[in-house]
Amino acid sequence: MVEEMNGAHMNKTGGFVIRLVALLVVVGCLALFPFVITNRFYISLVNEMMIYGLLAMSLDVLLGYTGLLSFMHNAYLGIGAYIVGLFLIHVAPSSIWLALLVGVVGTTVIAVPVGWVQVRTGGLAFALLTLAFGMMFFTVVWKWYDLTGGDDGLMGVPHPDVHLGGWVLGNSGDPTVMYLLTLAILMICLLVTWRVIHSPFGSVLEAIRENEDRASFVGINVRKYKLLGWTFACMLASISGGLYILYRGYIGPTTMHAFAGAAVLMMVLLGGMGTLWGPIVGAGIFILMQDYISTMTEHWELFVGLVVILLVLFLPRGFAGLGDLFRFKNGLFRFRKE
Amino acid sequence: MSVIATAVDITLNSLVLSGVFLIVAIGLNIVYGLSRVMNLAHGSLYALGAYAGYTLVSVGLNFFVALIIAPVIIAILGLIIERTVIAPMRKRSIVYTLILTYGLMFFLDGLIKYFWGNEPHFIELPAFMKQTLPILGTHYPVFRLMTLLITAATMAGLMLFLGKTKIGLILRAASHIPEMVSCMGINMTYVHVGAFALGCALAGIAGVIAGPLYTIDPIMGHEMLLSSFVVIVIGGLGSLRGAVVAALLIGVVQTLAEFFVTDLAMVIVYMMMAVILAFMPRGLLGEGRFE
Repeated sequence: MVEEMNGAHMNKTGGFVIRLVALLVVVGCLALFPFVITNRFYISLVNEMMIYGLLAMSLDVLLGYTGLLSFMHNAYLGIGAYIVGLFLIHVAPSSIWLALLVGVVGTTVIAVPVGWVQVRTGGLAFALLTLAFGMMFFTVVWKWYDLTGGDDGLMGVPHPDVHLGGWVLGNSGDPTVMYLLTLAILMICLLVTWRVIHSPFGSVLEAIRENEDRASFVGINVRKYKLLGWTFACMLASISGGLYILYRGYIGPTTMHAFAGAAVLMMVLLGGMGTLWGPIVGAGIFILMQDYISTMTEHWELFVGLVVILLVLFLPRGFAGLGDLFRFKNGLFRFRKE
Repeated sequence: MSVIATAVDITLNSLVLSGVFLIVAIGLNIVYGLSRVMNLAHGSLYALGAYAGYTLVSVGLNFFVALIIAPVIIAILGLIIERTVIAPMRKRSIVYTLILTYGLMFFLDGLIKYFWGNEPHFIELPAFMKQTLPILGTHYPVFRLMTLLITAATMAGLMLFLGKTKIGLILRAASHIPEMVSCMGINMTYVHVGAFALGCALAGIAGVIAGPLYTIDPIMGHEMLLSSFVVIVIGGLGSLRGAVVAALLIGVVQTLAEFFVTDLAMVIVYMMMAVILAFMPRGLLGEGRFE
């Protein structure tokens, strides 16, 4: 675990400027994308990639930085989306920021007690419990027809205007507006998460990941920090949920099923855990791949399963770890004998 | 129907359900206890067992012959799985094993859908097992009673195997201190492989007896996987006695919940698990060893 995971943090300060420039270039390209390619299908596809990228990044905070495995992180996307959707339908159809805030607060209120139970158990039971609780939320959403629309999903969610400080920037039903809103929120979340991860709090989380016992020996309240990390990750997931329902205007219970959870896990794996940006790239690759495979064959599960197995066996650090294969030392393709 | 008849029905149903939970959960627990591998594909192996039983019975074999052959097939499959993908994971963090077996679950589900399709199947039973037996005013299906017998026989066999044979002795010792066992000149690789195959065989048995109880469909394994997690988490990871207690508890609670509130039965089970874990984080009997 130690050898496999801490490689990404070796040059924390080195190349900071290069990274910043690279980030700005990528953001610039993404921001210009809907004006260059005006096909609504592609705008929506990239939008979905960014929403799932945010979700995958939030899972990375748990998996890559705290060492906690959540199988059903999509449940918190779902909960956030349902709360935002219900708020927009029943309470205030036009206030987008208030709806997102209510979504985050509501999800936190649900996630904290769940997390409190989960962190009381060890690493393995934690993972199993996320599965059990996730399926519990799925069952509730699926069976509570009167509130959530059950199998049919939550329909007729209004598209509020996106307003900022008195200006109306556009309607969230417009793909381009929604795309830019998602991009902006994704970038804010990425920067906030980056800051949190590189704060003393983030170091505590990494200490817990590396060795829970030692972390507790130096006086860290492991359960408390795990719960805080969990809550932070669930809040980020609920933001992605809010964006999801604003972009789709619809959510069904399958979004919260264990299969969708496995997809999120795969995005993190594909991109490389413990890197923050990796999972966002992973989400992009995964959604492209899913789009492609599902048009090719109906037996997509076989391929998804096979890809996961091969990834874990041969490329545990994912896309971000691709460079390792070509490293001078210890790489799979060695350039120089040791 | 009288109150007594309903009560008898509920009692027997919950025992049958507990029995199936128990066999699946014990298989999962044996693999975890000996190899520290939490096999998320266990539910899919159970489903494969049911499908294997279905195919064997539909080609004309006797149900009881299928009950023996299907677990052997699943055990061989487990052997292959252990050697090809689980063994390379031994030195890595358990997170990777979990993700790997999760991928395996998808793969096996994909295989099931590829070979048997999405539609539900039913195992054809021998004529005498289709009858019902009058017990205290209710007519109880003979097959369900047979299931109870098979469960009891399986558990008794397992206990005798672990308690009285030399291999069982090695397995029990390995669940206590694996390093010591390997110091005694016993190849731990065989222990890991054996444990995995044994767990898979148990999943296969459960699959075959669950076939006629419920419909056989590709998602049957998922529900069972979640239920057996609940069982082993409540009972204590790796604790065989804990699994017995927890399986009985979950079987009774789930049957009662299904009888009274139908739709949200699983929610009640999960809530109960949350409450138990909030006060006893290591499960009812603690993280255990084989007794």
